[in-house]
Formats: sequence, C-alpha cells, structure tokens
Amino acid sequence: MSAVSGTLQSPMQSPSLPGDGGRLPQGGASIVQQGGAESRADMLFALLARGAAVFVLIMLGALVVVLVTAAMPSIRAFKIHFLTSSAWRPNEREVVKRDAQGNIVRDADGEEVTVTLPPEFGALPVIYGTVVSSIIALLVAVPLSIGAALFIVRIGPWIGVLLGPVSFLIEFLAAIPSIAYGIWGLFVLAPFLQDHLEPALNAIAGKVFFLRIFHTDQGLTGRDMLCAGLILAVMILPIITSLGRDVLRAVPRVQIEGSLALGATWWQSCQVMLRYGRTGLFGAIMLGLARAAGETMAVAMVIGNANRISSSLFAPAQTMSSLLANEFAEANSNIQRSALVEVALILLVMSLLFNVVARYLIVGRSARPAV
Amino acid sequence: MRIQSLLAAAGLAFVLGSAAHADVRLQGGGATFPAPIYQRWVTEYQKAHPDVKIDYQAIGSGGGIKGITDKTFDWAGSDAPMSKKELQAAGGAEKIVEIPTVAGAVVLAYNLPGFNGELKLDGPILADIYLGQIKKWNDPRIAALNAGAALPDLAITTVHRTDGSGTNYIFTNYLSTQSETFKNKIGSGKQVEWPSGTGGPQNAGVTQIVQTTHGALGYVELAYALENKIPFATLKNRDGHFVKASAESVSMAGEGALNAMSHGLAVNIWDQHGEKAYPISSFTYIIVYKDLDYLKDQEKARALTDFLRWATSEGETLAPSLDYAPLSAGVQKKVASAINSLTWSGHPVATASR
Repeated sequence: MSAVSGTLQSPMQSPSLPGDGGRLPQGGASIVQQGGAESRADMLFALLARGAAVFVLIMLGALVVVLVTAAMPSIRAFKIHFLTSSAWRPNEREVVKRDAQGNIVRDADGEEVTVTLPPEFGALPVIYGTVVSSIIALLVAVPLSIGAALFIVRIGPWIGVLLGPVSFLIEFLAAIPSIAYGIWGLFVLAPFLQDHLEPALNAIAGKVFFLRIFHTDQGLTGRDMLCAGLILAVMILPIITSLGRDVLRAVPRVQIEGSLALGATWWQSCQVMLRYGRTGLFGAIMLGLARAAGETMAVAMVIGNANRISSSLFAPAQTMSSLLANEFAEANSNIQRSALVEVALILLVMSLLFNVVARYLIVGRSARPAV
Repeated sequence: MRIQSLLAAAGLAFVLGSAAHADVRLQGGGATFPAPIYQRWVTEYQKAHPDVKIDYQAIGSGGGIKGITDKTFDWAGSDAPMSKKELQAAGGAEKIVEIPTVAGAVVLAYNLPGFNGELKLDGPILADIYLGQIKKWNDPRIAALNAGAALPDLAITTVHRTDGSGTNYIFTNYLSTQSETFKNKIGSGKQVEWPSGTGGPQNAGVTQIVQTTHGALGYVELAYALENKIPFATLKNRDGHFVKASAESVSMAGEGALNAMSHGLAVNIWDQHGEKAYPISSFTYIIVYKDLDYLKDQEKARALTDFLRWATSEGETLAPSLDYAPLSAGVQKKVASAINSLTWSGHPVATASR
C-alpha cells in the first residue's frame, strides 16, 4: 500500500485547485492495473470517489430543479418583466376602477367600483443593489488585497518576522462568521459613517454634479449602500488576498530574475509578476465578487433594506440575498414565496457564472507551473 | 437481566401513571406578539390544573393560521383576523371562531435630539410622512400641532418593518383610514411597498434604527418602546383628543368597538371613538374551530374551553404587567358568550368544572 500511496501523492500534493479533481480518477485507474492484490480495494475506492463526485453534481442539479419548480408560478406571472420591474408589493391593493377615459366607474347605487390589484414583484432594485454593492466592495478590496498579496510574496520573506502574522491574520479574516462582520458594521461602521464621514461628504458633494452619488436629501442613517459595500470589501479581502498570493507565488522565478537582469527596478519587476499572473488574479477577483454577491446576513444588517433604486450611495438599498433573509420566513402568499425563489434562482445563476469564469481564468487557460 | 426488570418496572409505572391522570395535551402556535402573555397564562393555569399540558409555539401569525387550517394545532394565535381566502380554506367563516384575547398598540417612536417636549401627531400627517411628502421635522403642518415646541430643521427618516407582521397590518390599515392617497398608493397588508425610508427586521430592528438615527420615526409595538425607553408620539384620535398609548387607552379603543361586535368578535379597533381611545390599537386573537370535535377527545375540548374562559377573564389581570391591554369588561362578556357557544359534535361542550 505504501508504494501505491507514494504514486498517488504527487498529484495530490499540488495545491488542490479544482483542475486537479479531473486527474485523480485516471491516476487511480492506472494504479489498479499495477496493484494486483490490492486491486479490489482500489477499485472500491475509485468507485466511492466517483460516487462522491457524481453526488455533488446531482445535488446541484436537484437544487436547480427545485428552484425552477418553486419559481414557476412567479416566472409564469411576471415573465421577463420580473427582471425589469422595480415594483415589490406583497399586499393586494384595492384601487378605484376607471374607464378608458379615466373617469371613475360607479355601480347602480353610485358607489365607486373598486378592483383588487394582485401582488406584484420585480427584481430590478435588488439586482441593482447586488451589482452596486459588489462594485463598491471590489473597488475597495482589490487594490488592498493585491497589495497585501504582493507584500506577502515579495517583501514578507525578507522581513520574516512579519510574514507569519500577516498571512495568518488575513486567512483568519476569512474564518470570521459573517454575522460578526454584520454586528461590527451595525455598531461601529454605520454610526461612524452616519456621524462623521457622510455628513462631511454630504455637505461638499451636494454642490458638485458628478459627486452627487455622495449626497442625499434624505436623513443620513449610516445603513446604506456605501456601508454594505464597505462591509463586503472587508469580507472579500481575505479570499482575494490568499488566492492572489498563490497566483503570484506561481510566477516562475525566471520571469522575475529575467526582468531584474534586464535592469528592472523592484517595482517594475512587480509589474512583470502582476502581468504574468493577470488571468489568475482576475479569477481571484471573480471569486471575491461571487462571495460579495451571495453574502447575506452582514449585508441585511447594514444596507437599510429598502427595495428602491437610488442614485445616492447614502440611500438605503437591498441586495438579492438580503431580500431573501428579510422576507422569506414571513412571506404571506404563495406568489411572494415563488417570487423570492425566483430571486434566489437569479442569484444562483449569477454566482455560477462568476465561478465558472473565475475557475476558467485561474485554472483552465494557462498551464500552471508548479509552486 | 437487570435492564429488563428496570424496563418492566418503568412500563408498569407508566401504565399506572396514565391510569391515575389522563393527561390532556393542547398544542397551540402562531403570532409572536402575544406569546409572552400566552406562556404566562399557560404557566398560571397549569398551577391549578397540573393534568393539562398546553404548548404555544411562537412561529408567526401566518404559521398559526396554517396550523389551525390543517388542524396540526389545537388552537392558533394570530394578530390579524383570517382573510376571506384563509376562511375559505378552513371550511368557511361560520366554522371558525376568532376570540380576542388582549389588545396591543402600535406607537410612533422618534429620535429628535434636543427635543424634550411631547411630540404630537395626527393620522393624515403620519400618512404623508410615510408617503414621503412631509420631509422635515419643522414642516409647518407638524409645527401647527406642536405650537411652542422647537422642532429641528432635520430630515425625517421613516423606519418600517421589513418582515411580514401583524404590526405592519395594523399600522397600514390605520393609515389607510386616515388618507385616501395612502390607501390608493400603498394600501394595507402584513407587508407593503414603502416609497421611502429605511427598513429593519422585527420590532427590535426598527427600535435599534430609531435609537441610533437622528431624525428617525418608526412604528413599534408599545411594549418595545416602553422596554427600550424610547419616546413615542401622542396621537390625535377620531374625536380630536390627543391620547398617549397605554394599557388603559388601548382597552378603551376595544370598548369603543363594542357595537361592531354583533356579527363576530374579529373587529378592527383602530381609529375608534372615545375620549381616551388610542387610535392605533388592535386585538390579537386565538383561533379555534367552532365545533371542537377535531380535537378527537372530549376531555381535550373541555380543557381548551376551560383554559380560554379562564384566560379571558381572570387571566386578563396579568396583561398590564406585560404591557398588554386587557379586554374591557364589555368585550370580556362578548368573549365569554362566544366561548360558551363552542360545541362538541354539535352539542355544547359540557361546562362542568373539572
């Protein structure tokens, strides 16, 4: 068995990025032919491994099927308007009936005739909220995390004492439960934004046309798009940093030494590194984006929960996942539940796209050199 | 061998025990708002009736109505009476009895730094604030109600509940009676589409936002405002009196609605007449079927009616200590006759004391 496991180890020891998953079964199969006595155990193992892989696929398939089935009433009722409408009205509403000329319709006794409008749902404000809060998060997090990754790879090793704690702390950030970020956002970040940053920006930015996004005529609450974006930035920072670090470490020494030999300054050789790893870095950013788009509790706590599209970052908003967190438990009609499921479906498709693009960029295109 | 004899002993004890007390179990669930008083009632009632076990799961009004409709609950709690559709699903309005138990109030909590007086508001102004038409605290219409008070030049941040709730239902229904525009543009329900302001989950979420936001105005249950010591507004009622919400003023709103109770007990008590009636008041209900044979056991039916009768009479005295408004004397009488009308397979449930 030891000989067999020795053969097995080489593909497993490289960082377990998903591209490796595909290679494992073939490795297993070749071992089976060599092994002889242990072939039955190996075959069983290969079977189990394959079963596990298939099971994951079945789960994903089942998830999609369940979501689509549950979202069907909403898909049928609102069709494509679901993506373009900004209405989110869970209650039925009685309105006075009017004829084609706009006159109020009255019955025989002269009473106004009313019609009941059914609930109406549209996902545009939450899609907008998800996109904008994710963009804010990326704008803040990407420079910071690429910088941190560069530090770990290029500077850290030379000042050894710092490298350990910095690496550890960045990875530790990823392990903090999102509710903890939410509480921090609610009790520390939101009050700070409300009392200090936003009033200052509000006073200046209101006078300049292109800075209107930092201005609102409404009261400042600190629970708004900006706050959600900043919380998300903190949350996606560790994943982009640690993936970025792996990507930068994978840049062959030859590239760096080559550039230095050609007389590049330290910063120029860093540029070479970044350029060499750009698809991988982009993939890391996409994974960060997927996390930002799907993040729920922390966002629900600080975004202000208003299903509206507002040009101001200081206005409360809503993302897809915070909408689900807020409304699913107490949804009071089947069509509302169905509409919420459709939002979940859109979110799933979006995250899936982000992930697929990211994996393709990190793993698929460039042959990865060993670390 | 020892284990077997132990098991046998336990089995014997169980058989003997169940022969001695035929324990009655009543499963209820629903609205979260009245859960504290219901649990208190159960505790007190079980002291006198140790053989009756009553449970109440606070899972929300919607869950309660679902539970009683499919009869997984023996009794349900709901803040809103059942809608026409829900009644149909349960077999028709005449099959269901909705019993008011206590009343609650929705108050307008505010955060106005430097303002120490008593803020006065009325329904139409409130509707326009929530429609986003009145934007500043020093709006002339608010100032007119608060003559002499220095209201700040501060934007009003309205705060609403994001989850489906009885509080939303009461508040939007009240505002719909106050403003035609509100009724047409927003309407009423457990969850509506608010045109402005910011949202928080549940009473606690709204309270928290109001407490930390200068210029905020939010609606919460009276108990939450009292518990968190947030100031809340005095409201002008239907007869033009300014009334502060309290257990007493909410009970008076219930009394004001007494005349409307001839057809059923599920009446709305917002916007009632009366010098001391607080305008945004509402009952919370216990819902059972009129005929209790779905309980499968006459002993259970007897226990349930006995519990309900006790809760809505003697139990009411416990309400004010938990910040609920007890039923007024007139309403208690109506409720008692409704409980007496409950039947077991068509016959009145025996009222003999247990």
